Amino acid sequence: MHLTGLPLSTLLALGAVFGALTVALYILKLRRRPVAVPFSRIWQQVLRDKQATTLFSQLKRLLSLLLQLALLALMLLALGDPRTTQNLVEGRNMVVLIDASASMKATDVAPNRLEVAKREVTRMVEGLSGSDRMLVAQMDASIRPLSTMTNEISDLKSGLEAVKASDTRADLRRAMSFALDSLRGLGKAEIIVVSDGALGDLEPIAKELDLSKVKLSYVKVGTSSKNVAITEFSVRRYPLDKSRYEVMLELTNTNDEPANVELTLLGDGNVVDVTEIALRPQESLARFYQDLAGASRTLEASIKLADGKRDDLPADDRAYALMPERRRARVLVVTEGNTYLEAALLLDEYLDVEVIAPAQYPPAQNFDVTIYDAVAPVHDPKTGPALYLAPPAEGSPVELGRSIEMFGFDSWDKKSPFLAFMAMGDIQVAAGHAFKPSKDQKVVGASELGPILVSGTRAGQRFLALSFDPRNSDFVLRVAWPLFVLNTVNAFVEEDTSYISSFRTGQVWRVPAPSTVDIATLIEPNGKRRQVPVKEGRAFYLGEHAGFYQLEAAEAPPLRFAANLSDLQESRIAPASELALGATKAGTVGDFQVGVRREIWLYLLLVVIAVSIVEWVSYHRRWTV
Amino acid sequence: MSLFDVFKRAHLPVSRRFSQRPSADEELFDDDFQRKLEMLAMVSRRVFAGRMRAERRTKKKGSGVEFADHRKYVEGDDFRYVDWNIYQRFGKLLVRLYEEEEDLSIYLIVDCSSSMGFGDGKKFDHARRLCAALAYVGLANLDRVTIVGVSDGELVRMPATRGKGRIFKVLNFLRELEASGTTELAETLRMFVAQHKRRGLAVLISDLYDPAGFEGGINMLRFNKFEPFVMHIVDPREARPELKGDVRIYDCETGDERELTVTAAMLDKIGQAWEQYTQSIERFCASRQVPYFAASVDVEFEELILQVFRRGGFLR
Repeated sequence: MHLTGLPLSTLLALGAVFGALTVALYILKLRRRPVAVPFSRIWQQVLRDKQATTLFSQLKRLLSLLLQLALLALMLLALGDPRTTQNLVEGRNMVVLIDASASMKATDVAPNRLEVAKREVTRMVEGLSGSDRMLVAQMDASIRPLSTMTNEISDLKSGLEAVKASDTRADLRRAMSFALDSLRGLGKAEIIVVSDGALGDLEPIAKELDLSKVKLSYVKVGTSSKNVAITEFSVRRYPLDKSRYEVMLELTNTNDEPANVELTLLGDGNVVDVTEIALRPQESLARFYQDLAGASRTLEASIKLADGKRDDLPADDRAYALMPERRRARVLVVTEGNTYLEAALLLDEYLDVEVIAPAQYPPAQNFDVTIYDAVAPVHDPKTGPALYLAPPAEGSPVELGRSIEMFGFDSWDKKSPFLAFMAMGDIQVAAGHAFKPSKDQKVVGASELGPILVSGTRAGQRFLALSFDPRNSDFVLRVAWPLFVLNTVNAFVEEDTSYISSFRTGQVWRVPAPSTVDIATLIEPNGKRRQVPVKEGRAFYLGEHAGFYQLEAAEAPPLRFAANLSDLQESRIAPASELALGATKAGTVGDFQVGVRREIWLYLLLVVIAVSIVEWVSYHRRWTV
Repeated sequence: MSLFDVFKRAHLPVSRRFSQRPSADEELFDDDFQRKLEMLAMVSRRVFAGRMRAERRTKKKGSGVEFADHRKYVEGDDFRYVDWNIYQRFGKLLVRLYEEEEDLSIYLIVDCSSSMGFGDGKKFDHARRLCAALAYVGLANLDRVTIVGVSDGELVRMPATRGKGRIFKVLNFLRELEASGTTELAETLRMFVAQHKRRGLAVLISDLYDPAGFEGGINMLRFNKFEPFVMHIVDPREARPELKGDVRIYDCETGDERELTVTAAMLDKIGQAWEQYTQSIERFCASRQVPYFAASVDVEFEELILQVFRRGGFLR
């Protein structure tokens, strides 16, 4: 037996002080309250009887004092934190990584893999020895510690209760890095991975991590792999006919047996199409639904086995998509007259175009986009983002440089949405100016003589400026011209052809949002609202659940979008029987004995409480007084 | 307001006649108490008129006013008692004999020791009320009533008095008594019998908590030809005092101390010892034909007085 708490000398000193105090209080307690009686002779007989038991009474009083001193001794011993020699071994420091990825929602074990994993960890927590410490963390697309490194069973259990499965894949690399950081410098370090083993390619992870100083353990959860999944789902409207759309969908059978599935496509909750598809073992089958008509905003695909049974992972049996909104953009053209410009705008029937003379600017109404043709009046923010064509020096959003002649686009930003699908190298310009953009303005296209296409922000609104009059070039005679105009309008109204119909869970989403706000409100599929940051017109959020989301920012109309799991790795739910990170092969977990706490001081305190109760009862029942 | 009240007020100083808040002693013998005394006096006469008649009348014939008999004239008889009507009719000299009346002396001995005033003083108040009631009944019967307070081996005495109108003197005397000192019945009553040669009924009103024993005092009365009447004032609360835990008890008279821890079992034993003590007093009185009456403080004094009347031995 060894004392691991206060040293013996301190305990003896405390014992002397408190022992003396106890005896003093005991003596004080014996000073009795004086009480008058009318005739003491009546008490004489009784007192004479008591005389015979005086010695016994004194012994009983002594017993009371001894009980109190015993209490004191037990408490001091508890402060000493005595441990048996065999229990003096160094405790383990463990980080338990609970896989909460989508595959852990599989129901091949009741009620599902995650609940079984939590039960396993609970059993470990209850079996912690007195010197063991544990940290519980949830592992999905991110790593989320749910407790501190502690041996408090209640803290660990409450942390376990907070584990919730997400619709993402597990990021083992990040989780292992976190675990190694948590265990750095601690003895008997151990990482316990509680998972179904669907953790992706482990080789790169093994190369990055140094597992030489920790013990790696693996607790397998799950039994079977029966699953058919929707692994891709995308939808978009046709750019020039927004009343029609096409759908791309991919199904994967992760079984080793063929499967017949019934695919149902819903538009705004109404059935659009039902198809039965036969899938061979491990087959992925892509399907396109082209030229679908309808006014639906939301699309949902769901599959079920044709025999009516459910597969083991319902999470990937549904996929969601949201089509770009079919709304007419209001375009204002400020010009003295430009046939090429007006002709290009006529190509999109979903544009409401209004042409005004420069003298009529600004108009009374609001517009989504304004095109200034060789004019640059003071921009009114209510007329939206602007496209400047050959802006005059006075009022130009970009400072005009020298005049240039006979030039073309020698370089341009091929990823710019303004120039999508366009070949700019063939354009020849007779005369124009070179821009002198400021630092916060971006050059989208330039000739050897200087920038000629610049984007930026003016009065809180985005703009694009072209330094020459297109009529002084062959630009207006090329296919690129209407594409340029429509790309610019679509980019300004966020209806470009690269619209994403759904996001993938487990990734950081960059959702379009008004550039004038810093914070937006995101409403999750379960109705939960959370604040997300907005930077440069994009809201950033690490999405973890599939379904329909809504983004609300300032006075802008709410933006809806969808998110899907669409992850083949997570759909392959066959549990891995072992976990090997390079040369390190995970072993089984160590010794956890439920109900064993090797801390004697706890039992000492229990004895103190018991003795206190005995002393209290015996005193008040006058046994020891 | 009764005639009694008017009479009482007339005897009070002017400053006290209209007092709105009577003192504690005034409350002891308040108007209600005095009305009850009147009632008790009337009831005593009505209830016991037949039964108790002549119990205390003397058989001596003498100079009373009530005719009793005739006898022959002998020399030396007073001529005034010769019945001249008989002589005229029968020619014989006969002398009229009258019943000689003798007034009873009642001694009301009140124990004024500290034990009587123990606690809230209920026993002492009760004793004084009983004493006042007995005195009033005695005064109403034209008996000679003497009240004696005994404590610390000393006597405080109100001289013998007679007649209902003297009740206020009695009440004032009782008001001024205080409960203090020790109980020494034998010694005190020895002084009492030495000072009072005229024998009579001696009512001892006491809790009989005498460290030297109650027997000595009663025997002192008996042996000196008094007719003792023991009115034992008892407070049942003393049989089971509200004590608990570690205490140091001390006798309120003698100051004797003792440390002990009071338990429920001990309280039971105390109750038994108190009962035994009370019973020993009753047995002692019964064996010596001394009228004994236990007056509990929980019983109203008028009820107790009526019980005394029913029991007999006090009124004639």
